Amino acid sequence: MNHLIKYIVLLFAFVTIISCSKELNVEPTLSISDNVALTSEENIKKILIGAYHSQALEGNHGGYLQIFSDLIGSDNQVSWNGTFYEPREALNKSMLPNNGIIGLMWNSLYESVNQTNLVLDHLSVIKDENEKTRVEGEAKFLRALTYFELLRLFGNDVKAVPLRTTSVKDFSGDLSIKRSTTDEVITLIINDLQKAAGILPKENGFYADKYAALALLARVQLYLGNYKAAGGAAHDVIANSGRALAPNYAAAFNHDVNGSEDIFAVQITSQSGQNVLITFYASEENGGRGGDISINQDYLNIFDDPNDVRSKFYYQNAKGDFLTNKYVSQFGDIPLIRLAEMILIRAECNQRLNTALGASPIDDINSIRIRSSAAVLTTLTLGDIIKERQRELAFEGFAIYDIKRTKSSVASLPFDSPKLVMPIPQSEMNTNKLMEQNDGY
Amino acid sequence: MKQLFLFLLLMLGSISYSLAQKSIKGIVTDPNGQAIIGVNIIADGAPKIGAITDIDGKFNLQLPNKVQSLTFNFLGYETKTINLSDGVDDIKIILEESTKLIDEVMVIGYGSTSKRNLTDNVAKLTSENISNIAVSNFQNTMSGKAAGVRINQTNGKVEGGINVRIRGTSSLSQATEPLYVLDGMPLINQNESSNGAVMNPLLSLSSSEIESIDILKDASSAAIYGARGANGVVLITTKKGKVGKTNVSLNISSGISSPTNVIKVLNAAQYKELFTEAAINSLGEDAGKAEAEGFFDFVSNGTDWRNGAVDTDWGKVAFKDGSQSDMDLSISGGDAKTQYFFGGTLNKTKGIILGNDLQRLSARMNLKHQLSFKISAGMNLGISKTIIDRVANDNEFVTPSSSIEQSPLSPALNEDGTPNPNTLYPNFLLEDRYADFTTNLHRITGKVFAEYNIIQNLKFNSDLGYDLSNQTENQYRGRLTPFMATNGFAYNSNAKSENYIWSNYFTYNKEINKTSLLTVVAGQEFSNSDRIFNSVSGVQFPSDDFKSISSAAEITQGKGSNERYNFLSYFARASFMLQDKYFVKASIRRDGSSRFGANQRYGVFPAMSVGWLVSEESFLKDFNTISLLKVRASYGQLGNSEIGNFASKSLYNGVSYNRGSGIRLTQPGNNDLTWEKSKQLDLGIEFGLFKDRISSELDFYSKRTDGLLFNVPLPGSSGQLGINKNIGEVENKGIELVLNSKNITSKNFEWTTNLNISNNTNKIISLPNNNADIIFFTALYRVGHAAPTFYLPEYAGVDPNNGDALYYTDGKGSETTANYSEVKPVLAGNTQPTWIGGLTNEVSYKGLALSFTFVGEWGASIYNAFGKFTSSNGDFFGNQTVNQLNRWQKVGDITEVPQARLYGGNGNAISTRYLQKADFIRLRNVMLSYDIPSSILGKVKIRNARIYLSGVNLLTFTEYDGFDPESRADANSLGSNYGIDYESAPQAKTTSIGLNINF
Repeated sequence: MNHLIKYIVLLFAFVTIISCSKELNVEPTLSISDNVALTSEENIKKILIGAYHSQALEGNHGGYLQIFSDLIGSDNQVSWNGTFYEPREALNKSMLPNNGIIGLMWNSLYESVNQTNLVLDHLSVIKDENEKTRVEGEAKFLRALTYFELLRLFGNDVKAVPLRTTSVKDFSGDLSIKRSTTDEVITLIINDLQKAAGILPKENGFYADKYAALALLARVQLYLGNYKAAGGAAHDVIANSGRALAPNYAAAFNHDVNGSEDIFAVQITSQSGQNVLITFYASEENGGRGGDISINQDYLNIFDDPNDVRSKFYYQNAKGDFLTNKYVSQFGDIPLIRLAEMILIRAECNQRLNTALGASPIDDINSIRIRSSAAVLTTLTLGDIIKERQRELAFEGFAIYDIKRTKSSVASLPFDSPKLVMPIPQSEMNTNKLMEQNDGY
Repeated sequence: MKQLFLFLLLMLGSISYSLAQKSIKGIVTDPNGQAIIGVNIIADGAPKIGAITDIDGKFNLQLPNKVQSLTFNFLGYETKTINLSDGVDDIKIILEESTKLIDEVMVIGYGSTSKRNLTDNVAKLTSENISNIAVSNFQNTMSGKAAGVRINQTNGKVEGGINVRIRGTSSLSQATEPLYVLDGMPLINQNESSNGAVMNPLLSLSSSEIESIDILKDASSAAIYGARGANGVVLITTKKGKVGKTNVSLNISSGISSPTNVIKVLNAAQYKELFTEAAINSLGEDAGKAEAEGFFDFVSNGTDWRNGAVDTDWGKVAFKDGSQSDMDLSISGGDAKTQYFFGGTLNKTKGIILGNDLQRLSARMNLKHQLSFKISAGMNLGISKTIIDRVANDNEFVTPSSSIEQSPLSPALNEDGTPNPNTLYPNFLLEDRYADFTTNLHRITGKVFAEYNIIQNLKFNSDLGYDLSNQTENQYRGRLTPFMATNGFAYNSNAKSENYIWSNYFTYNKEINKTSLLTVVAGQEFSNSDRIFNSVSGVQFPSDDFKSISSAAEITQGKGSNERYNFLSYFARASFMLQDKYFVKASIRRDGSSRFGANQRYGVFPAMSVGWLVSEESFLKDFNTISLLKVRASYGQLGNSEIGNFASKSLYNGVSYNRGSGIRLTQPGNNDLTWEKSKQLDLGIEFGLFKDRISSELDFYSKRTDGLLFNVPLPGSSGQLGINKNIGEVENKGIELVLNSKNITSKNFEWTTNLNISNNTNKIISLPNNNADIIFFTALYRVGHAAPTFYLPEYAGVDPNNGDALYYTDGKGSETTANYSEVKPVLAGNTQPTWIGGLTNEVSYKGLALSFTFVGEWGASIYNAFGKFTSSNGDFFGNQTVNQLNRWQKVGDITEVPQARLYGGNGNAISTRYLQKADFIRLRNVMLSYDIPSSILGKVKIRNARIYLSGVNLLTFTEYDGFDPESRADANSLGSNYGIDYESAPQAKTTSIGLNINF
């Protein structure tokens, strides 16, 4: 028995010796934690790059935003040949709240909002004043871009989307939030863009610069029907940004670095970004699924000149479907704001206001047409300008918004039909107690 | 480390013992004359005096004169008492191997015990139960053989993941697999597959290396594994050499396999008919016909579809006859000092799916040596290499099983024999021919161990275990594969997980009188796990002749990570048997783990159990009908620490944008995160009747798990999708019945039946966010219901007036509507079965033996998520199951299949239309064997030889219309835990013939 006690004592001695609980502190090597991420200048700037990264994801400007806008805005201009039922719901104007891609878009856009808010809330960490201003400008541009998409997709004249203007870092409480009014969201977008345009540098590589902010402001003001502001901002970009139309129409697309016409483009490489425009518009040889979205005769019928390059800007896949040539480079960048759009905005605003800021509307329109070898116009109506937008900007995510702002209709649905507004995703309805569903869902 | 060596040296001090008056020596052997080492010898009437036999089976005792008898006691043998006669001082004792059920040796954590002493619920399987079954993984061999243990393979791919559920699912979001412990070493069981389909990491282990499997089901048995025991523990003991003549054992078998079932789809004529009709219904007579014919023109790829030139049965293209061959050779034996086992196995499995094969080579050596009377040491080492040719996961177009959706008008191959690229969906044959995906799995499991008998009743064990799992995956996709625009694509990955564990423990055994026994185990354990993962992808290859990543002109992605987790644990267990009939046991373990949040690092896991062997009481002893009656009860607490290595931390990851680096918030943190805690009560009764001719075990259990770890969904508008929280509680309650009957036991003819059946009711007690429902896909977590339950709109059939699909607006009985947006989902069925059972019969006549096992599951439903494509009454041009021919065609038709409408979305939205009962009964395995009589064998120096015929999954009874009621989607992206079938490949049906020879 004495021996037993001896050994038991030894056991305890032994056990206490090797029980250094330091062994239980293991830090991840792949990631960093809050206190590291949000306290250094370097890291805050990198979170901003993270916000650009999220713009290039599929649920964001990686492509679903553009694709869904065009599918909802299409009557019989395009066909959906793919097996995914979510885009087909959009084309059929029969979207459901459990549409997975709509949920993905919502979540992805708000992730982007939080990334930009994280940057804006920690600007004080950045000591260099020039750098701080630049970072603030870019973050505000990205936040405005994101809210504008949320507003257009999920909101109507009155009800917009939840407005978060500060970052969420503690996720342990109740994060329910109600929808803000459309006015509140528009105010934030315009304030952010005006601020960004005021403080961003005139040149900023492939990141957002002053003219990206002005160009987006022009797009927003046009959507709101503030033609004077829209035309003014567009003119500023045309006159001062140093951008020029690409020498030919094809040159405006499928490039790896920004072209002369790009005011802001989402950067895709073989290593980062998700380009689902390629996935759904391109043939298998071009990295797509073979042509899930193809062009129909109804679209080709809007061209008035058979020599118009844009009327032949397609190729055929094995099935004989017409596929757009806008997306044929698998890892090409995604043009988000092109100079051509600014020219179209300036022309439309001048036409509507009967002014000639910068150029007469007909000269602006003809500059676009000449580039594509289309016959010049001698007379011009507002309808001509809207058609010109369709010829020039098709498949770039404008269809439904032009229908809504011009109060026209699609597939016998009036512009204000609730079916043309996306449902709030079921996942958000399930988790956000203050959320209200859109009409008709 | 130094301290331990010092300590071990100290331990080597010798022990002396007391003197007495008379001297007696002897030898203890088994009936074959082999010495038995370590037999406990007790001097009756002198409790302090005793001995254990040495390495030659000998003993030497000094006894007081009053001692009249000695008792010899050794686990696995009948206890024997010898009366001492005057003048005899040298005795020879032969111990008979124990045959009584109750004396069966049960392996428990850090020791073993007999079934008699057991107060826990442990199911034991021996090599006899699991050998010679033609499956490529050992887990499947256990199916249907242990009560309350559900074993399914995810699908029919040879490497398919295995789901083992012991007493239901006690975690809702985290690991639900049991802890596997091989010879004391917790095994790495992490799925390292990188193609999106779950793979079985324990494929590397061959069932022929296994001596026994003990499944710890209740809290009392598993609590010694503390924070890792909540899902039950599977203890695997490998084969060891036995004292005696060298035994050379050779086993060869070879078999063929085929799918248990292939879904029947339309032939070319039916396809044309249905889709022409569907197109006309949607687009009108002329436009519809044009649409359909235009499509037939494309999909037939230039063949004359109008005259039936092509009628491809894609099921026959995707599935093939497989084969299985096994060979294993082992040599074992030993003398009193050294026992050895070594052997190797070879398994070649050709799967039933085109492009899916497996080959495994493994070797094992187990060695034990008795250094001295007090010290023994040894080493176990198992190595294996497994090579698997794999196919894409269930959510990919190019997975073979989904090709049944291709049009039968499409030729599978062109006339020149190359795959036809112009099919409706990408032709998987292009992937099969021009791409490959190979997984190489290397595994080393080993341990060195030493046992030191300090004094007669006290021993010390030190085990150092090591487990290395190295998985490399190499993929190359050539220029002609579907969706290829980068001139080739290659992916290489290497995942290396390494685990070492050092356990040190004392075992103290004390017999008090000869009928009472105290056993105490106490020890400490430290384990460290490291995982290193690297991968690289590249594109742009000079030609398809170059497949190695070095030839890629552009590297598109590289990944590297290094993760670690540690456990530091102390444990103790005491069990006491009083008068051979009252048992009490208590255990405790304290675990600390780096995985838990900073505020919650340590946990204590106690358990307690009691038992009463009523049949030993005098009032039952003379009652011959009842040969055994035992009642037992246990209660304890367990943890589930499989929550990921860094689940508690707020994490920001590196991302990139246009070759610039960025940072992205990827996981919200929670410092209070800790393991999931289970409390389990088990009440059991065991009885035997008519000398154990009939024996039975009946258990009731109730397991409550709280602090469930949830990735609680967050509103997407917060910027994140979920946060890990310990919220929620789930309960599993059930009964388990085991019934064994020796129906006939005559000299030449024996027939035994073993039945086990169990019921499990799973119920959610509480959930995060004030018990708010949690919905994933079609699965609902709701308080008061099983986790998860199907949550679907209820399908109401077809409107006889117009062929519209109808749904109930709010569950059966409510109003019906054709407008899906007016429909509310309702609770629609269980994802897990409520009853599972297994029935094994063994019949033998002389050398001829037949055994067969049926397994069954009842109460679960299965959601065929692929139905919206293949059973959608011609919604899209994908081929349809034959039952779609019963579509509505004219006013008044009564059918469940709506009118065929191309692109019409008529009835293919998510609903109970695609939900079915998953009940099945399956002949899991059957074995017919013949032992060649020794009269023939004697001449060729063969000890015994057996030829056998073995079958797996030969019969299936089910009403499920999909491939297989056991198969579920293997793609993580599809939610495999939610009862989803997604054209998931059927299980293999295998018949093999084999020969087993012992020299």
